[in-house]
Amino acid sequence: MKCPRCVQRIHRAAASCPHCGFTLADADARFGAEEVHIRSLTDSAGILRRGDRPRVEAAMEKITRRFPQLFVAIYTGSLGEVANIRQFGFWLLNRSAFEDVPVQKPNEAGILITIDPESKAAGMVFGYLLDPFLEESDTFDCLSRAHAYWLEGRYADGIVRVLHHLDGILCKRSRQARRDPEHFQRKVVLPAQMGDLVRRIRAGHHPSPEEQETEEVRR
Amino acid sequence: MKFLPATLAAVFLTATATALEEPALPTWHGKERAELEAKGWIPGALLLSHDPIPDEPAKPEPLQVEQPKPGEIAGDLKPSPEIAEKFLPAYFAERPKNFLVDPQGLLNPSDYRDRLSFLNYHASDSSIDLFVYVIGGDQEIPSAVREEEMIERFFTEGRPAAIVYYYLGAPQRSVVYLSPSITTSVSAAEQRRALESSVMQAFEKTKPSEQFEKFLVQMSIRIYWMERMLAGETAAASTPSIIATAGAGHAKSAKLIWLQALALKALIPATILFGAFLTALGFHHWLRLRARYRFPEFEVEPRLGGAHAAGVGAVISFASAALPPASQRDQVPDYLRRA
Repeated sequence: MKCPRCVQRIHRAAASCPHCGFTLADADARFGAEEVHIRSLTDSAGILRRGDRPRVEAAMEKITRRFPQLFVAIYTGSLGEVANIRQFGFWLLNRSAFEDVPVQKPNEAGILITIDPESKAAGMVFGYLLDPFLEESDTFDCLSRAHAYWLEGRYADGIVRVLHHLDGILCKRSRQARRDPEHFQRKVVLPAQMGDLVRRIRAGHHPSPEEQETEEVRR
Repeated sequence: MKFLPATLAAVFLTATATALEEPALPTWHGKERAELEAKGWIPGALLLSHDPIPDEPAKPEPLQVEQPKPGEIAGDLKPSPEIAEKFLPAYFAERPKNFLVDPQGLLNPSDYRDRLSFLNYHASDSSIDLFVYVIGGDQEIPSAVREEEMIERFFTEGRPAAIVYYYLGAPQRSVVYLSPSITTSVSAAEQRRALESSVMQAFEKTKPSEQFEKFLVQMSIRIYWMERMLAGETAAASTPSIIATAGAGHAKSAKLIWLQALALKALIPATILFGAFLTALGFHHWLRLRARYRFPEFEVEPRLGGAHAAGVGAVISFASAALPPASQRDQVPDYLRRA
């Protein structure tokens, strides 16, 4: 887990980045603190051609169908000189309300791909549901599949490739999680605090409720 | 312009007619000829005269070759004696117990055993049995015996069979009959071809016992093709190749037949297995396409004040076609990049 601003590693429950102090409030200050209503495929930059939209939507739909908990959102837009695509993605997934995504699917289950054709950069952000299952390297693998297409300006082809590869990675992670859920749980569960440890040791010396009842009956 | 083609045609025809005229032959001038005769030699005089060539040897007298004896002339076999009456019941009284019928003992015991074992093997491998009556090369079946009637009586019931009257040492006299159950399915032409090819194979050898062996092997192969015809399959065009390979000897042919039969038997199970495998593969693929994947939901502490997400993934730049994607992975902190 890395900070969107300083790209340094942060711990599991950091309220702010221990290196640069970044929080969502900083992003709010830059992009706005209000909720944003957008559709899951928003092409603000206008990079998708007429026939491209159905193909991209079909690829998004495929992931939604195979992974009923998840949804995919794509945003293309020019972020300007001052904006950082990493911070923007982080902010957008936290502040947006996707109009065409069912309400039972919160943004925690979302995967957002942001493309800025002006600065020629793309990024991927995912919600807390996928936090234990996706690594930064996985997202880089997906994005690098589209690199050749995006260089040529074939954005839809690139997006389809990204989603296809993402589909494969998610299938693999899902199977791994079914086999060994503890492995992934360990990634997100907070390490035991000293107080918890002492409490558990003491609890081991105390009689269980059943034993206590038995002793009371004897008396 | 319109007379041009006619003019060209006329010129062409005239030129052709002129070319077709033969030039006149050269003639001697009297003086030149006299000079050459005086020298004693005229070029070409030998070829152009009808005089006998000097010093030519006389024609040799034709060689005196002994005339062939009547017995040595092919096809001059005179079927003399009829089969002795004492053997007739063993031949024609009942349906034969063995596939090889030789009551006269024309085959020596070793050959008899080998041929019988081959016929037994054929019967175990084929649905059409092969019964062979061995008769002497110069013998005749008595006219009282009516072969067709006998075959109808003995071979109407039971497994289909091909019955061969084989004349030992004279395979060209052999006759083949089919049991009534398959006569309609296998044409007379096919029967004739089977017999002809078997006789041809037999004639590759000179010894009667070897001829008999070759005959049986080829007949067995042809029966295999009849069997295929019965099963509704067209006789394959590869028949000649089978005939050709039959010359490699009894063991090889038997092995070939066995392999063909094995391949034929294994074809259907193999096809079924392959089909089942493809179906299973398709079904597996279909299941995988329809599969729904779920992730276990764990309690995750929010980070950086984000209520829904803080899983910041990779950022990639696609500004340069010269650099690989890995080199364009954006890992630069915001404040450094802006500086």
